[in-house]
Amino acid sequence: MTFKKRFIFCLLLLCQILWAQQDSITKLKAVVISDAHLKKYSNSQSVLKLNDSVIGKNEVLLTDLLNYNSTIYFKQYGRGMLSTVSFRGTSSSQTAVIWNGININSQMNGSTDFNTISGSDYNSISVKAGGGSVIYGSGAIGGTVHLNNDLSFYNHFDNYLKLDYGSFNTTGIHYKTNISNEKWSAQIGFSKNSSTNDYKYINKYTWRGEQRWNQNGEYDIITMSANLGYKIDKKNTLKLYSQNSNTDRNTSLVSENETKSKYINGFNRNLLEYNGEFGKLTTNFKTAYIFENYQYFSDNSTNDYTFGKTESLILKGDLGYQLFQSTQINGILDYNKTKGYGSGFGDHTREISSASLLTKQDISEDWKAEFGVRKEFTDNYKSPVLFNIGSSYQVSKLYNLKLNFSRNFRIPTYNDLYWQEGGNPDLKPESSYQAEIGNVFTFNNISLTQTFYYIKIKDMLQWIPGKNGIWAPQNNDRVNSYGAETLLSWRKQLGKNNFAANATYAYTISENVETKKQLFFVPFHKATGSIAYSRNRISANYQILYNGFVYTRADNDPDEIVNDYLISNIGIDYDFKFLDSFKLGFQVLNLFNETYESLENRPMPGRNFNMYLTLKF
Amino acid sequence: MKFSKLFLIALSVSLFVSCSNDDDDNDSNEPKGVYDNGFFILNEGSQTKGTISFLSDDLATFSKDVYGLNNNNDLPGGYLQNIFFDGDNAYIISGGSNVINVVNRYTFKLITKIETGLRNPRYGVTYEGKAYVTNANYYSFENAATGNTDDYIAVINLKTNTFESKIDLNATANRIVEENGKLYITEPYSSTKLLVVNAATKTVETPIEIGSKADGIEEDNGTLYILRGPSSDRSEIVKVKLSDKSVSKITFPESLDGAGYLALEDNKIYYTVGTSVYTIGTSATAASTTPILTATLSATGYIYGFAVNDDRIYIADGGTFGTDSKAFIYNLTGTLQKEIAVGIGPNGFYFND
Repeated sequence: MTFKKRFIFCLLLLCQILWAQQDSITKLKAVVISDAHLKKYSNSQSVLKLNDSVIGKNEVLLTDLLNYNSTIYFKQYGRGMLSTVSFRGTSSSQTAVIWNGININSQMNGSTDFNTISGSDYNSISVKAGGGSVIYGSGAIGGTVHLNNDLSFYNHFDNYLKLDYGSFNTTGIHYKTNISNEKWSAQIGFSKNSSTNDYKYINKYTWRGEQRWNQNGEYDIITMSANLGYKIDKKNTLKLYSQNSNTDRNTSLVSENETKSKYINGFNRNLLEYNGEFGKLTTNFKTAYIFENYQYFSDNSTNDYTFGKTESLILKGDLGYQLFQSTQINGILDYNKTKGYGSGFGDHTREISSASLLTKQDISEDWKAEFGVRKEFTDNYKSPVLFNIGSSYQVSKLYNLKLNFSRNFRIPTYNDLYWQEGGNPDLKPESSYQAEIGNVFTFNNISLTQTFYYIKIKDMLQWIPGKNGIWAPQNNDRVNSYGAETLLSWRKQLGKNNFAANATYAYTISENVETKKQLFFVPFHKATGSIAYSRNRISANYQILYNGFVYTRADNDPDEIVNDYLISNIGIDYDFKFLDSFKLGFQVLNLFNETYESLENRPMPGRNFNMYLTLKF
Repeated sequence: MKFSKLFLIALSVSLFVSCSNDDDDNDSNEPKGVYDNGFFILNEGSQTKGTISFLSDDLATFSKDVYGLNNNNDLPGGYLQNIFFDGDNAYIISGGSNVINVVNRYTFKLITKIETGLRNPRYGVTYEGKAYVTNANYYSFENAATGNTDDYIAVINLKTNTFESKIDLNATANRIVEENGKLYITEPYSSTKLLVVNAATKTVETPIEIGSKADGIEEDNGTLYILRGPSSDRSEIVKVKLSDKSVSKITFPESLDGAGYLALEDNKIYYTVGTSVYTIGTSATAASTTPILTATLSATGYIYGFAVNDDRIYIADGGTFGTDSKAFIYNLTGTLQKEIAVGIGPNGFYFND
């Protein structure tokens, strides 16, 4: 006991760089993954998978999870506020978020706000770098983020409860239950994250000399999920995924006397999926209904708001056939009907159909090739033929070479097409060509992935001021984005001691072809690192994030930048071995009390704390 | 010890000397601060931050952000809309942050901020120790029911620099001028009327019908000159004779549709259409269709600020609103004197003389 206590003490004092990953626990039996294509057709690209034990160790909102564990750059309007991404130097609507195989980027603005999603609502989250429009449709240019609920079919009943409490009255409740046997599988989850978020701005004072703090930053995010799987027989499976979420957020003030506003948004997603496996033939039918809405209260002391909502019906039929032992082929038909209605863009319906063909060829045991092609049909815009061609070659035990070439796109949103005034119904989709080379080295406990990519994007949508001061979008810019990504992971077990370390680094040039300037809000450098240690009942981790400076203006004015920052978190937990697991944990976030901003004039919090209790039973 | 006493004496002497120097200044034409003898360019900026640039009268000395420079990088607020002066003070209205920054107009040092009673403040004028600032309050897209009837004037006591009271206008309000104790207000988007307010009694008088899209308003010799530029009708200069409130008009030819800005200087009316500037005498009965200059602005640019003062014409290019834009200074015959990069969205020129 004394030894253990001293050990904890040492850890805290010396800020040892430690973390535990405990993957061995999460060996699942008979799991039906929710997005089969992610596994089947992603051999030639880099996929970073974050499983539930990693998710549980990070701060709950997806921004923090991915910011500390991937190469994706985040731009946040203050802690917990609107958070958008740039992946491989692309725009916020050029990263697609995929929920159980369905693209859920907003139909209204084209992007996803990563502070409205709680990581604990999913079993695993995967980050796939590079183009994916052939399979995932619009927005899969820089990469895709996959939120997966995988259903398991074996006899078990388990519960997971995590309670968080931290600085600025930040509370989290995360509950998940899994009940299954060989025929049925059910997953029910609930999460609630809220905070008064009234943190002080380090070393910032008003003109009167008063300490400045984050005013009007309250947030509250509630999500409920229910997922159900039923194996009718050995060949036929039915699955139903359902999720409901509401985010109620005030919007942080930049200066003390601004009108206080708030933003409420929510969604309801339902997906019914049938899967049939008949020898060489597989069939998969999906029907999804997705509803999203927002209300913006420009003054939260009143009940007046502007709003937008869309309803989408998605039908997808996928027929797979094992042509030869080594050749798999899938034909997919897709129909999508979206009705949108909003105070800013009126009432519009759009229908998009598409057909695609995917093939996978195992040329030899070491050499796998993929090919895919997709074409959309719609009255709304002219759609390019999209394709994807890739190869993965295991040169030796140590080295795997991946090549991928694809054409991807991002369709105009409701705002772009119909906004009053300014919306431009004659827009083309943004489209891109992308080439990448991936080198994967594996030796012993170390895996190193190095990817070089080049993306050529044309017809970038940009809102620019027109005559009479009315802004309108145009297919204006061409952008070349290129760079290198490095992912490193290491794992080692020494007796009872488990060590794990992960690191990522991205070097990104994203350049406007005409002006030769770096796109604003794209950092040249971003790096993350984490190290974990566990022994018996105790585990500890340390994570670090470096974000290079970003320009805030298109002309790369050197005076108008957001400075680079280096921040880190440390956490430790202890398992009392009561029930299946009963962990008490403590985290120090922004350990060195770094003063930093993600966006100009929107300071982030200094050192702050979080405590959690995790129960498994 | 002796040294410090000596030092004290030296200090008090120097203070005394400098005080007497100050007294001299008041009687002479010595500059009262760095920013005497020049003009400010107001850069609207973003929702979070605007800036104020300064250029000296000889067009030689320029400072890009005089507020930040002199106030330890304090933020003056977003969407800077207007500056008005009273005595040695300049009042900078931030529409985006509901603040009026009160600074010394010659040093630009912050004196105080007016932080109450404002909601989307727009333009201000002063009259007898009070400032009258129009406030758009809620916009109709925020509140369709009352957005176009809830605009008001915030009355500000200039001695204490505090908000004092409101005058409800039951209409929309934007630009404001004062003449003989009356406040005259135009608003180009939702109003067809010229509002008239008695400043002393704080009462709204009968408005005068002038037509839609009326924006620029100037007073000269008992007459108001108002420029309106409807998008699908002819532009006009509406003249309102203040003695009897009679209205007369100069209707522009179709080639001058969509007129933008208006300025009055030395018995001449200057107006803009597109990127061109035209001039006519104040007593003219027809518009001039021959521009004295046509500005060469940026690709997406349009005139966003306009002024004529002491033999010069000043034009601000709105630019992209995402990067620094430019101001252009011409002489009265249209020859470019100076082109200078300022801040984001320059929208006005304010003369410190």
